[in-house]
Amino acid sequence: MKITNEQLKEMYLTMLKIRKFEKSASELFAEGKIPGFVHLYIGEEAVATGACANLREDDYITSTHRGHGHIIAKGGELKYMMAELFGREDGYCKGKGGSMHIADATKGILGANGIVGAGHNIAVGSGLAIQHKKTDQVCVCFFGDASTNQSTFHEALNLASIWKLPVIFVCENNGYGISVSQKRHQAITDVSVRASAYNMPGITVDGNDLFAVYEAVNEAVSRARKGQGPTLIECKTYRWRGHFEGDPVVYRPEGELDAWIKKDPIPRVEKYLLESDVMTEEEMKKINDDVDKMVEEAIEFAEQSPFPSLESALKDVYSDIVEEGRVR
Amino acid sequence: MASIGIIANPASGKDIRRLVSHATVIDNNEKINIVERIVLGAQALGVEKVFVMPDSYNMGYRVEDKLNSCNELRCEINVVNMMRFDGMEDTVKAAAYMEKNDDIKCVIILGGDGTNRAAAKSLKDTPIITISTGTNNVYPTMLEGTVAGMAAAAVASGRFDDRKYVTKDKRIEIYKDGDLIDIALIDAVISKDVFIGSKAIWNMDTIEKIIVTRSHPASIGFSSLVGCKKVIYPEDDFGACVDINSGSVRIKAPVAAGVVESVSVSEPVILRLGDEYEFTAKDRGTVALDGEREIEFKKDQKLIFKITREGPYHVDVIKALETAQENNFFTIEN
Repeated sequence: MKITNEQLKEMYLTMLKIRKFEKSASELFAEGKIPGFVHLYIGEEAVATGACANLREDDYITSTHRGHGHIIAKGGELKYMMAELFGREDGYCKGKGGSMHIADATKGILGANGIVGAGHNIAVGSGLAIQHKKTDQVCVCFFGDASTNQSTFHEALNLASIWKLPVIFVCENNGYGISVSQKRHQAITDVSVRASAYNMPGITVDGNDLFAVYEAVNEAVSRARKGQGPTLIECKTYRWRGHFEGDPVVYRPEGELDAWIKKDPIPRVEKYLLESDVMTEEEMKKINDDVDKMVEEAIEFAEQSPFPSLESALKDVYSDIVEEGRVR
Repeated sequence: MASIGIIANPASGKDIRRLVSHATVIDNNEKINIVERIVLGAQALGVEKVFVMPDSYNMGYRVEDKLNSCNELRCEINVVNMMRFDGMEDTVKAAAYMEKNDDIKCVIILGGDGTNRAAAKSLKDTPIITISTGTNNVYPTMLEGTVAGMAAAAVASGRFDDRKYVTKDKRIEIYKDGDLIDIALIDAVISKDVFIGSKAIWNMDTIEKIIVTRSHPASIGFSSLVGCKKVIYPEDDFGACVDINSGSVRIKAPVAAGVVESVSVSEPVILRLGDEYEFTAKDRGTVALDGEREIEFKKDQKLIFKITREGPYHVDVIKALETAQENNFFTIEN
């Protein structure tokens, strides 16, 4: 499988954008500048990046409560995301959705989702729409290990398989459902084996290896575009932060986080880029500086954006019915 | 006291070849079933202790629980006390423990070629029995667990002349700058793929050369590309090297489960034991060992490939059981 140097640089840039955006979000939340909840993606950057690098702008994704990484990887703009986290009018949801509801239909981002397991069926719906439209688009459905215990997961895989829908189910198995270890919430270790119950291919890859994720999703996307149906890809990974910011994380065994930090996906990519002469250390430093600047600008944009007015509180909450019976 | 070891790889049977070919899925519950039958077969014929590699699914403990709950466990199950990394290094480490433990006289390995390769890095003198739960399985064979356990018990008893059923296998040694950097038991494939990624290798367009210790048309995987031109047996004191996508003769070969490819393959060059085959890279690429990309190389990098008979001692299960039968191993004395 060939990946051009330009693609590699682009993927590295995406991983840095996710990491630095999330680090800033963590700090800003601690400073009290971000209301509500944030669930951060630090440590899992290779999954969203490797998966979305195979997608076109007209392809779809569905996301989760831990969705910032997916949205950035699919082309979401940092300034609108940050403004949304700040609850400001210029945010993706005009400041009314917050971290867990960011969506951008123009980029095929069908939304982060506060409900665990709610994205599976939205992905199947989009797959069905693609099939009816007879295009070669695909939908990547991101979800966590614990959501595969929800009935929605099983219903979604069943329907997607029966109808051969162009959906790639990407499970981010980070080992925990909120505070419950996978060992205690599932009678299996590899979510991928659940695919066989629905007659679709299921594979497990190292979710901290950008290339492994890229390669697996590339094959699955290629299958889906050809009308060969869905695939389940389990990416073994780890979230460095708690389930949410402020989580005291009392449930992790000692040393577990340190062991996963050693598998940090970003230095692994950096090592490859340097050893393969794709980038120099100077180029890497420049990209890092550029991303720092992008995040700073996003924060500045968010801070300068006004809060939504009181009068707009009920606007965009309900559909407005027009005469023809359509909604707008 | 007769003791055996069991290495069951929890990751085998789930890689990308389920997506790019028609490979079987073997889940960990099925591996537990196999391990159960191994334990039952082995304890029935005198094995008193079974050492099991620790893994993320706790297969050793689950087998112990299941057999205890039906009151069938007679031997002792010991899960090896070692730090787990949930990667190939666990197999290497557990195998090293079993190699050093003088009580363990036979090790049963559940996995594919890759798992056996990892175990072979550590198991130099302890005989092994291999059960296929992987993908492109040339080295391990499909084998009923009970029978494997019985054969392991016969081997571990130490009562028979093991030259009748144990052979020392070949391996490919890969050297870089004079240092041995890795090994393969069946094949080393030089590929234009520039990263390791999902490890498995399947795309014929990217393959340049294949070096094999053995080859046969009945072997699934890249060694069959040699095997469809020339059969090389485990006992032959040579291997071979071929160029892929080169030469005018095209052959059909089973390069993956359900995938029979048409490929042009050069005439095999025989590599005798100890012969050195030098490869100088024209560009970046990777070397896949027993079906998994493991070594990345740069342009102008030199690698030496050498076939030796330094692989593991491999038990022929049928011959071991026949030897046991000839020596009344199964006869109950009054």
